[in-house]
Amino acid sequence: MKESWSMILTYISAMVLIFVLTFHFLLQGPLAGKSFEDTLAFGYATGNLVSFDFVFGLLLFAAVIHGLNGVRVIALEWFHPKEKAWLLNLVVVMLMAFFLALGSYTLVTVG
Amino acid sequence: MKKDPRYKSGLISSLNPFGYNVERWSYALHRVTGVVLIGYLMAHIFETFELSMGSTAWTNTMNALHSLGPLELVGLWIVAGSALYHGANGIRLILNEMFGKLMGSPILPVYPYSPTSLGRNQRMVVWTITGVVLVLWVWAGLYLLAGLGVV
Amino acid sequence: MDKVTLEVVRSGGRRIRYDLRYRKGMTVLDALIEIREKLDSSLGYRHSCRMGICGSCGMTIEGVPRLACQTQISILKTDVIRVEPLHSMGVMRDLVVDIAPFMAMHKSVKPYIMRRNTDERDHSDREYRVLSEEVRRFLQFDYCIMCGLCYSACPTVALDPAYIGPQAIAQSYRYMADPRDEGWDQRIDLLDTSHGVWRCHVAGACSFVCPKDVDPAKAIQMARKEILKKRLLRRKARVGAQPVPLLSSGVVKQGVKPPPFDFGKGSVSRK
Repeated sequence: MKESWSMILTYISAMVLIFVLTFHFLLQGPLAGKSFEDTLAFGYATGNLVSFDFVFGLLLFAAVIHGLNGVRVIALEWFHPKEKAWLLNLVVVMLMAFFLALGSYTLVTVG
Repeated sequence: MKKDPRYKSGLISSLNPFGYNVERWSYALHRVTGVVLIGYLMAHIFETFELSMGSTAWTNTMNALHSLGPLELVGLWIVAGSALYHGANGIRLILNEMFGKLMGSPILPVYPYSPTSLGRNQRMVVWTITGVVLVLWVWAGLYLLAGLGVV
Repeated sequence: MDKVTLEVVRSGGRRIRYDLRYRKGMTVLDALIEIREKLDSSLGYRHSCRMGICGSCGMTIEGVPRLACQTQISILKTDVIRVEPLHSMGVMRDLVVDIAPFMAMHKSVKPYIMRRNTDERDHSDREYRVLSEEVRRFLQFDYCIMCGLCYSACPTVALDPAYIGPQAIAQSYRYMADPRDEGWDQRIDLLDTSHGVWRCHVAGACSFVCPKDVDPAKAIQMARKEILKKRLLRRKARVGAQPVPLLSSGVVKQGVKPPPFDFGKGSVSRK
């Protein structure tokens, strides 16, 4: 697979993240009308995850894909593996799968 | 890993922007904030997982975080600033990399040279981003650390 | 000022200071030549044209890659000038660096016109007509003197020795934009690799240090657009400029007078 496809994924997840992360900050930030401590309340947090489950799902996928691809790029530049490049990609994909699974479990269980 | 025989190469040199243009400074900051954010993201996914374990588990997690004292809120403030900067600069990078904007078009170079990719449009966007991010970061700091600025 | 000191990082990391009398208009290269002639004949450095066109005298001066012949001592605004070899290159001796990896990266992107029909090249009784507005699209990138300053300034090159570097990508784009070239697909595949164009993060240091305003950062983003056009928009390569018969002796009767070379409105760079 060409490198351009992973970068296209990074760009698209970045554009998605701008919107969904702004949404997340609106809920957890000063525009929610509560103090920060209150936004951490169990009821409020789980309530948000239930009402906006699609947005949080999008946030999870976009953030994990964008972030771990960034880790892959840094590792690729820092270690510049020649034969073992497939191993780096495999590790990153496995990490992505792990965090996506963990986050999805949270969303599904709470919802 | 074999030692790189090249003069002054490596991670520190690549992140050292002293003497260079502002876009190189923003590259270094973008990379550092990116690392902060991915570290936070991985911890955050573990943290929010506790929400699925019930309210007692959640209260224990929150208490564990509060036991860090002021470090918790200061840390979150740094993460907030990182997210604001990384996102805003990222918008500029998407414009540059994906759409080729703010770079100017090919010209005939005339001395004294002034590359169009580091020209007026690019710089305007860089400084606007810096300004907006600073304002929002101060607001975030007031909110997190002092409880002010609630709308 | 009447005195200037050059602190030169020589082989083995030794820092040696040379005190010189400053003369108005003195460049760093003038200082180095004077050091070799009068103070220390063992100092090693490359230079040739002393007028900013050969690209030999690239070195790191006050932390930034510059051409020594183009760097006036008076603009550095310091009495002690730090002179080091170019960063991200292996040191051969004193200020002489190994440019072989840099040249190899350039060679790897096939920096020459590629035509499908090699017969045209071997039996050239015709020429390719290129219009001035077509030339304007790549002429800026053709001014590269291969000095290696952009390669040395690039933060990705510092981290990743396998990265092809801004010069190679800019030259690859120069040929992609050339209407005579028919190697668009090949060049895209050469750039679209894990150490190719996608490892650029638009730090702009390459354009910042370029002594000829080749603006490699711009060329790199334009190259990216070409790759995205092919991958996302499914564009196909355009047909290369077709060969036309050379104008023969009856030119006054036959010919269409070629238009005057027009560099366009955007040609004067602004500070």
